[in-house]
Amino acid sequence: MKRFLFFSIPIIISLLSAEAGSDQEWASLKEAAKNIRSVKSEFLQKRILPILTKPLRSEGRVFFQTPGSLRWEYLNPLRSVMLQKGDTIRLYHFSEGEWKPEMTQAVEVRRMVIAEISRWFQGRFDESKIFKNLYVPGPPVRILLTPKEGVDKFIRRIEIFPGTRPGVIERVEIEEPGGSRTSIEFRKTEINPNLPSEIFEKP
Amino acid sequence: MIRRKILFIGLLGSLFQIFLGCVPLTKTILSPGSPEDLTTCTNVFPVGPWESVHKIEAVITGGVSFSLLGVTRGDPNKRRLHSFLLTPEGFILFEGLLGEDGMTIQKAVSPFDSPAFAGGLMEDVKGLFLPPPGKPARWGRTADGTRVCLWEGPDGFETEFWEAKDQDRQILLRDDLGEVIKEVSLKGPFVNGLASYIELRASKPLPYKLKMTLLQISP
Repeated sequence: MKRFLFFSIPIIISLLSAEAGSDQEWASLKEAAKNIRSVKSEFLQKRILPILTKPLRSEGRVFFQTPGSLRWEYLNPLRSVMLQKGDTIRLYHFSEGEWKPEMTQAVEVRRMVIAEISRWFQGRFDESKIFKNLYVPGPPVRILLTPKEGVDKFIRRIEIFPGTRPGVIERVEIEEPGGSRTSIEFRKTEINPNLPSEIFEKP
Repeated sequence: MIRRKILFIGLLGSLFQIFLGCVPLTKTILSPGSPEDLTTCTNVFPVGPWESVHKIEAVITGGVSFSLLGVTRGDPNKRRLHSFLLTPEGFILFEGLLGEDGMTIQKAVSPFDSPAFAGGLMEDVKGLFLPPPGKPARWGRTADGTRVCLWEGPDGFETEFWEAKDQDRQILLRDDLGEVIKEVSLKGPFVNGLASYIELRASKPLPYKLKMTLLQISP
């Protein structure tokens, strides 16, 4: 019994200190995001559908500026853009040589997603009304978002992989019920570049 | 006077070509088709299992337009189609299955959840990627060598397939009055029987236009 106690005390201490360490890492990750004023990045999105043998690839770019401006733009294969400035969110698609406002198709879901992405860039993971968050020390370090009731019909979980540079998101993995997945890899990320305000206003 | 006559004949020829698509095939003079022409009537559609990704640009009533991605997996031997419509971000708006047992809607987000819309959508997919069931009622060639095949539906509707010498293809769907209600233009190059570019114009019951660009095909 004494021997058991002798071995278990260091294990408990190391577990407690690991938890304290990860709490610290989690706090410093959120703290680093507080220094972010703006972000400019390119992304490669791979959509994996069970019926497709090859993933569906899309490329685009993202611009973010505090307090709440975001431009999430797809350059190919479909050209489209979601613009957020404050509470106003607009969606456009490029067709027949011009930008046209998006009228239909899951506009509300897309609004919800853009609001979430905007929070991720600011490290405000715990402010989401639709996802519970968990910091996983890894490796690899990641933030696990699990949906609350209602959204779980569409999304099983989201994993956000922060990069080595403070405040940078390297990859996002989204898992859906039924085996579909989406992977978004960010590259050429610039932190705190100067961004003209019209980027968030005009397509 | 002779120049006027030539001009008149030329104009008449052009008008004839313009209206050719509107004249029911039953009234078009066809030279009898060979058994080889009959085989090629169905060979213009994909043969064997395939999967494709299309960029879809749609214009519906009132000038409302949207751009989507269309993913389809087909098995012509089983007359089975599995189709998805996705937003540019990858959200699934619609998932439908068409098989020997009929149509099943697996997932549909508004406005794709209305039975009329879902049914119409799967009908379009079927018309683009599967040959009409059975053997054509008529087939042959027009005077300029365009290959034509005609299928008669049980409801009095007719599907016509036209293939010009330059390989551009056209599918016409006529109602029981012989009026064209859907017109599909298919442009090459053709990969495994799938056109690189498709334009569908529907006139009845509601007008709409679909432009589809082939992005990915397997195998």
